[in-house]
Formats: sequence, structure tokens, C-alpha cells
Amino acid sequence: MPAIELDGVTKRFGDVTALRGVDMTVEEGEIFGFLGPNGAGKTTTIDVLLDFVRPTSGSAEVLGYDAHADSQRIRERTGVLPEGYDIYERLTGRQHLNFVRESKGADDDVDALLARVGLDLEDADRKAGGYSKGMKQRLVLAMALVGEPDLLILDEPSTGLDPNGARRMREIVREERDRGATVFFSSHILGQVESVCDRVAILQDGEVVAVDSVEGLREAADAETVLTVRLAAPVDGAAEAAAGVDGVTEATADGATLTVRCASDAKMDVLSAIEDAGAEVEDFDTEEASLDELFAAYTEGER
Amino acid sequence: MSDDGTGRDEADDPERADADRGDDIGDSSGVDRSGDHADDGGSLLAGIDTAMRGQFGWYSVAKKEFRDTVRSKLLWLLSAVFVGVFALPVLLGLVVGFGPNVSRITTDQFFQQRSTIVSGLVPIVAIAVGYAAVGGERESGSLKVLLSLPYDRRDVVTGKVVGRSAVVAVPILVGYVLSAAVLATVGAQLSVLGFVVGSLLTALLGVVFTGLAVGASAATSTTRRAMVWAVGVYVYLVLFWGSFASSAGGLLREYAGAAVDTSLQVSLFLQLLDPTRGYGTLVDSALGQSTIAARAGMVQGPQRVAAYCQQALGGDLSMGGAGGFTCQPGAGGVPIYFSDAAVLLYMLLWLAVPLLIGYRLFGTADL
Repeated sequence: MPAIELDGVTKRFGDVTALRGVDMTVEEGEIFGFLGPNGAGKTTTIDVLLDFVRPTSGSAEVLGYDAHADSQRIRERTGVLPEGYDIYERLTGRQHLNFVRESKGADDDVDALLARVGLDLEDADRKAGGYSKGMKQRLVLAMALVGEPDLLILDEPSTGLDPNGARRMREIVREERDRGATVFFSSHILGQVESVCDRVAILQDGEVVAVDSVEGLREAADAETVLTVRLAAPVDGAAEAAAGVDGVTEATADGATLTVRCASDAKMDVLSAIEDAGAEVEDFDTEEASLDELFAAYTEGER
Repeated sequence: MSDDGTGRDEADDPERADADRGDDIGDSSGVDRSGDHADDGGSLLAGIDTAMRGQFGWYSVAKKEFRDTVRSKLLWLLSAVFVGVFALPVLLGLVVGFGPNVSRITTDQFFQQRSTIVSGLVPIVAIAVGYAAVGGERESGSLKVLLSLPYDRRDVVTGKVVGRSAVVAVPILVGYVLSAAVLATVGAQLSVLGFVVGSLLTALLGVVFTGLAVGASAATSTTRRAMVWAVGVYVYLVLFWGSFASSAGGLLREYAGAAVDTSLQVSLFLQLLDPTRGYGTLVDSALGQSTIAARAGMVQGPQRVAAYCQQALGGDLSMGGAGGFTCQPGAGGVPIYFSDAAVLLYMLLWLAVPLLIGYRLFGTADL
């Protein structure tokens, strides 16, 4: 049984269509990345899974239950870090966690949870209204972990976290997967998804444009590496030499600067081909594909 | 009632819930959990707490709500208002006014002195406490955290009403208990039953308007709209309902050819639908007036009282009493729809109907 199964989910808000026939299957026990630019419909998709919004058409199942009719049963076994949330300012961090434990009938050790997300015991006994964005994020992550949920839904979980916090969060995601949980993880940042996910779906303008393994995603990203080479002086034929190398999709010259689109493992071959053409390489720079370019690679490839 | 209802069987089906939790027990680490419930109080309270949790989905929401609101110091402010503004001046006035005859102060006088200010202010306080209950969380985003927990939306609305009603009712009752203590100390003659019922009715008035406000906050997507609805209904009741009620009766007589007693009955019935007027006449009943006298006393002026007594309520006038006559039940008794129980029911409808509408709209809304 898949952890999440979306079948033709469409959601319209008035004239605006947020989701257009989204099909997606998340298998049990995997870390599934949900990648897309802001405004692509990631949060709306998650809202459908949690019954915060009801789809205009299509069906959504979570943990084998209908996302609308059996929502409460789903949420008993799901931990959520929502997007655009707020905490209860006048309750302490510990009271928040106790409330979640009580709500889920769980008996987790609150101190252990706090230690796990890296929230000081001292801070946990303060009112959460004074928390920084990062502390709130840690608290809500801890709340999501209460009761060893079968499914974790994390919407942009790195928001507000410092690099240490983001690393801790990724470790927790892996630990939870190893425990047997399914993790559904949305982000608009390629690097975050790439470093932790098993499989990835890419959402753009309310449509799933690709579902791929992380290796496949990496290959697609690599195919779009941009190599910028500055020569000591312009040399005729340098761009043509670069274009002749295996793995190069495009090479253009602008005076003494060459711009080469290629797979990342073709970089050294490109540089030596340029030097063989009689040019002196002064400096070079590589740029990984941005998310937009990655989307372009997928959409162009598919159509 | 709604297609959201499915989630509720979980609470009625403990075996199922236990089975779900069963898989987790095996791999939980069995760490020491002592000390986590230090704030639960004595073991009896802890037992009740556990039982309530198991039984009602809304219970934890209500508890959180109450705890959260208490921390806002609102509860303490309200207690100060109810004691300082409502109770103390009345007490002082009575005690000073009666001077050496202080023991002649009655429960009736205490309630009469404050009934206008109470029925005017309690609804306002209750609306202030309740209007942001759901919309506030919706605007801030904490509703997303709350609804990611296994509550259905009805639990959230019910929990809000119960929690915020407690925030309104507790200070009201504190005010009455302190007043009773003061009056008893100076030696006034109190009717314990009248005092208790009167206090509870006042608390109910607060709960009714809390329900109205929470219902409005669930039905609308912003706190501003909720406030406009709740305050609008209240202002309409206070300013226009009375004249609407009497003119409705007049119109019936004028254009539908209704008999005089029918038109008066319609007017009286409509008056009773206003929860603040219902509160007033129920307090009169609680303080020892007969049902018919309490109902007839809802209108101003001896002639109108007499007309309502005889024609709307089927009563008889006997000489004597404060207005020169007393209204007494006739042979047929008071119609059931004018009885105390009926008036109480009308008040409760004000609690139920806005909440049902609010739940309906909130239950189907996209958040």
C-alpha cells in the first residue's frame, strides 16, 4: 500500500487553478522530495493531503485512507510541519509538546524530543512567543515527531534554520526513514532535496512535470552544468573545438569568453580540447543548473 | 449531520484506537516518563482528566484554550471587572443605603440593582472573548498546527466554545461568590437558591454570547467579519428587537385580522426570543416571582403589564402589590411556550444555532 496516492487531483480557487490533475505515488518507507518553485502548488497539495482544502476533482489517499473522509485517522498517524504556521505565543515549548502528546495519546519523552531537535531545556520552559524563527521551526519539528508517526509531512522544513539546524533536520529525516516512517518533504531548493531524498517529484504551475530517482535528478542537473572559460586572448575555432567534445550541448564564444553547456564529467575534456585548439585558458568557472534550468531540462526532454 | 462525522467513531471505539497505538509500543524506547504530568494536580483530577480525554475529542482543545487565555491575563482582568465594576458599587450602594438596617437587604434587591448593567455588559464581554476564537488562529496560522493533530473541525469549534465559555463564566461566578460572601458577612438575608440560580443564569447569558461569537468566528474567514456579525446581532437585539416584537404583533392585528390576545402573544413570544430579555425574566422567576408575573413584567408600564397579563398570558389581576395589582395565573395556567423551561430553551437556541451554522461553514471551508 502506498503512503500517499494522488489521482488526478485538481484544485481551483475561484478563477485560479492551483493544481491541474496531479498524479503521484509515494511508497511506504521512502524519503520523497517534492520540489518546485514558490507558487507551484506544493502547499496546496499538502493541504489536500491534510484535508485543509478539498480537491475540485480527483482523489487523494493517505496511508490507505481517503484524505477527506478519514482525515482524522490519517492525522493520528501523521506528523506535520506545515508552512505558514504559527505557534501559541503564551504557551511554553514544553506545553506545546505535552498538548501534542495528549492529542495523539502518545507518551514520548519530551526532554529527549527537545534534545533531538536541538532545543535547549531552558528555552523549552519559556513562552514560545519569544522564540526565533529557527526555534519555532525546531519546536514544530519536535511536535511532528511525537508518537512515532508512520508518515511525516514536512513543508519547507529548512525555512529559518541555520546550517547546523538544517543538517540536524536532514539527519532526523533519515533516522525517521530508517525507523520505517515515510517522509514527504517539500522544498524549492534543489540542494536540500538532492542530499536527503530517495525519489523526487517536480511540480511546476500545478502540474507534476517529472518523478525521478535522485540519481536521475542528479544526471539531469549535471547535464545542465554551465562552464564559463576566460581565454588570455580570443582564438578562432575554440568554441567549435569545445562543441565537438562528447557531452557538450552548446558552446558559444563572446570575445575571449566561452560559455559551454555540458555534463559535469565532460568539463576536463572541454578544457583540454580548448587548449588543443591553441587557446590559453586564464580562468574558468562552473555553475550548477538552477532549479529553473532543471525544470526546463525535464519539460523539454519530456515533450 | 455532516460528512465530516466519520472521524468521531474513533472516540467511541477504544479497541480500534488501542490497536493503532499497539504497533508503536514495540519499538518505543521505554524511557522514564515520570515528572511530565507534574501539572496535572491530584490523582482524582488526573483520573478525571484522563477519562475526559478518552471520551471527548474537544476536551484537550478546550483545556489548551483555557490555559492559553488564562495566561493572557484576560481572565484576571475580567474577574477584576466583574468584581470591581459589577459587584462592588452595588454592594456599597446597598450597604450604605440601608445603613443600620443592612440585614434587610435581599437577594432580590441585589440582583435588581445590577440586572440592567449585567444584561448589557455580559454579552459585550463574551463577544470580546469569543469573536477571534477560530478566525484568529486561522489568520495567524496556528490553526494549521492544531488541525494537523487528530481533531476534526467540530472538535476545534466545540473546544473553543467550552474553553472560552469557561473564561467568561468563571469570573462571573467569582464575582457572585464574593458578593454573596460580603452580603452574608454584613448579615443580609440571602435566598441561597435564588442566588445560586441567578448566578448560573448570568453565567449562561455569558456562555450564550460566547457561543454566538465563536459561531461567528467559525463561520467567517477573518476576525473582523466575525466581530461585525456578532456585534451586529447584539446591537440589533438591544436597539431594535423590542420595537420589532411589538410592531410585529400590531401588524398582525392590523393586516391579518388577528385577535388582540394573539397579537400580544406574538409580541411577547418575540420578546422572549431575545436572550437578554429572556435572561431578565428568568432571573425574576428565580428570585421568587411567579412565572406569569415574571413574563408580564417584561413590558413597561402598569397598563401594558395588565394587558399582557390578561390577554397574552390568560391571567387574572388581583389588587395589591408594587404596581397596585398582582398578575396571577388564570384557570388555564401559563401557556407552555411562555414557561421558564421554554424561555431557557430559547436562550439555548442562541447558543446552538450560531454554533451549528459556524460549524457547517467552517467544516466545509478551504483553510
